[in-house]
Amino acid sequence: MSLRFQRLLLILLTLVIILSAVLLILYNTRENVSYFYTPSEIDELEIVINKTIRIGGFVENDSFNKISSSSFKFNITDEKASILVTFSGILPDLFREGQGAVIEGAFVDNDIFKATNVFAKHDENYMPASIKKDLKDTGYWNKKYK
Amino acid sequence: MSSLVGFLSLVFAIGINFYLFFSRYIFKFQKQKFNLFIRFSSLLTLLSFFSLMYAYVVSDFSNYNVFQNSHSNKPLIYKISGTWGNHEGSMLLWLSILSVFSFFFSFTKNIDESFKRLTLIIQSLLHILFGLFIVFTSNPFLVNSILVNEGLGLNPILQDPGLAVHPPILYGGYVGYSIVFSIAIAGLFQNSDDEWLYVAKKWSLISWTLLTGGIALGSYWAYYELGWGGWWFWDPVENISLMPWIAGLALVHSLMMVRGEQAIKKWIVFLSILCFSLSVFGTFLVRSGILTSVHSFAADASRGIFILLIFFIVTGFGFLVFLIKEPKKSNALNLLFINKVSALVINNILMIIATLTILLGTIYPIIIEVLYNKRISVGGPYFNATVIPIMIPGFLLMSIAPILSWQTNKMQNSKKYVLGFIILSILVLIQSYFLDFNTWGLVGLLLGFWIILASIIAIFSSYKVKFNIKFFQIINPHIAHIGVGIAIVGITCSSVFQNELDFNLNEGDKFDVNGKTVLFQEIETTNQINYQALRGKFLFDIEKNQSKKIEAGKNYYPVSKIITSEAGILHQWNKDIYFILGDQKNNEWFVKVLINPFVSFIWLGVIIMMYSGIIAVTRR
Repeated sequence: MSLRFQRLLLILLTLVIILSAVLLILYNTRENVSYFYTPSEIDELEIVINKTIRIGGFVENDSFNKISSSSFKFNITDEKASILVTFSGILPDLFREGQGAVIEGAFVDNDIFKATNVFAKHDENYMPASIKKDLKDTGYWNKKYK
Repeated sequence: MSSLVGFLSLVFAIGINFYLFFSRYIFKFQKQKFNLFIRFSSLLTLLSFFSLMYAYVVSDFSNYNVFQNSHSNKPLIYKISGTWGNHEGSMLLWLSILSVFSFFFSFTKNIDESFKRLTLIIQSLLHILFGLFIVFTSNPFLVNSILVNEGLGLNPILQDPGLAVHPPILYGGYVGYSIVFSIAIAGLFQNSDDEWLYVAKKWSLISWTLLTGGIALGSYWAYYELGWGGWWFWDPVENISLMPWIAGLALVHSLMMVRGEQAIKKWIVFLSILCFSLSVFGTFLVRSGILTSVHSFAADASRGIFILLIFFIVTGFGFLVFLIKEPKKSNALNLLFINKVSALVINNILMIIATLTILLGTIYPIIIEVLYNKRISVGGPYFNATVIPIMIPGFLLMSIAPILSWQTNKMQNSKKYVLGFIILSILVLIQSYFLDFNTWGLVGLLLGFWIILASIIAIFSSYKVKFNIKFFQIINPHIAHIGVGIAIVGITCSSVFQNELDFNLNEGDKFDVNGKTVLFQEIETTNQINYQALRGKFLFDIEKNQSKKIEAGKNYYPVSKIITSEAGILHQWNKDIYFILGDQKNNEWFVKVLINPFVSFIWLGVIIMMYSGIIAVTRR
């Protein structure tokens, strides 16, 4: 085989691999990317049932309700709007009323958001940068958070 | 006092490196003297690091960093690990490891002296950049402005023996690529002979082995500490460590196939620059606070910009030199359709594309936020669905690699392999028919077992079995591949065939896990030195005489008011039984039990890979 032919083959092969990688990426980003909203943003949106999204905000004070040892009900709020969330499973250790949390899941009807995953922040001064920005914008920013 | 010593020696070391970097063109150094200076600056940097450690050990709260991150009633090991359990200290650790690598590199014997000096000068440049970064944006030696008797404590989630040693080992891997980077750049400048490739091989193997260990420790920690039952979450920080790992793997393999071909040499230089760039880029992303995870200690924009600057200097400088100075012309790459070299070339392409897809998935949310002001998250399913299909052809090539030859198109012993593959495939098929059938499970098991089988056949048919060091060095590549195969089997089984059971239990209840009866004995709370422990006590398999005790629960750390989960894991060779204690209502506790088959194979595979990394370093 001539060198030029080999090089051609190699380039072609690389292109094929890259092309399939790009197709995979495009396909998978459509399926597996979830959008992130704050409760007040959701108020303005049309609710799509059973579409996976993430909601970030605070666990509203006095909203936490233990239905059984493994199912819970609470509100996620950004002080302008709040959303009723149900979750069954084990809540993260840092989950508490008045603390920041990110909820992943989907609306099961227009009012109830069923969470599949709950992420809580890692310490009391820690806040995901994205929520922090929103909280600052809405004026719900507590100075004691870093 | 120790803070002063630490700060002065840190600054002095940077000063020496300035001198070394700029004096090359002013003075003509004697080679002995040059090496001495490098070693001296390394020792000074280490002195600086150890004086910070000393401040932590004696709980010197006049140091602001110690005050912020330590507490006098912590166990000694966490006082020591507290040194790097924060942003400032971890950057000083980074610089110290850089110095250690320069120190040992200055003792390298079998390379040209001027080449060695050039490499060390590039190391000096890196030392200056990161040193200034520490002094100006993350100084760990600041004096506390108020007098205090007690510190604020280390994040309890970091108080774990596995995590105490995880950062130094991981950084060893990251920073090790700095030497590889410097060697490659020096190789471009000097263009002398191919001697530098062998030196680069050794150092890239060392870095890769350390990186493997660091990543494995991190995911082992996540497995038993985070209490989610998984060991890999495609968290941005995990992705960031995986990228230089895969690129480094490509580098190690490219270094194996050098036969003086120009194209491969160029590729090696490219990979060397890429590995270190990815390491610095990872540090930037983690430290800038753009990504949020356990690892982002504090978000401070100025730090992020500074590291971004270093990243652009390093990467820009590296790739600029790469473009201007091409390696000297030598043999062209001769790909003979089906041989080891072409298999390796294709594998390299696959690895780099896998790296790029991970990179894309990791920074995609950032790009989208900047462009559209929309926030998205790319979850684990994206990575599983993208990276795994790209890697599969690579694993396929791995399983046939032993029959390919280096020089010709002939295949050796192909009959044995084909027969072995067919028998194995039938066995796996039958097995998967009786278990729950799952496509991914079948593919993973087939590939894993093929790789193991092919490597074993290769060892026994191509070499005479002897038990001396030489033999183990020769079969080492096959051993490494066996490790990969075992890890693939472990990964497949533990992720595809994981089983989850939920229970609501009162104390004294009996329940059934995997055909064995488990007794939920009691809930117990105890006071430890720096935390309170709540434990659910379980007795596994009570029908037998030697039933196993499992404790799962939570710890409460009063100093930082944080609760951490402690999963109870029963390790067996073929499965882990993983207990998580949940919440309670009216004395009824929620208990989640996960059955993770063959998790131990993952760690075994990783240990084998690291073992062959070490053996490969000893081989020339």
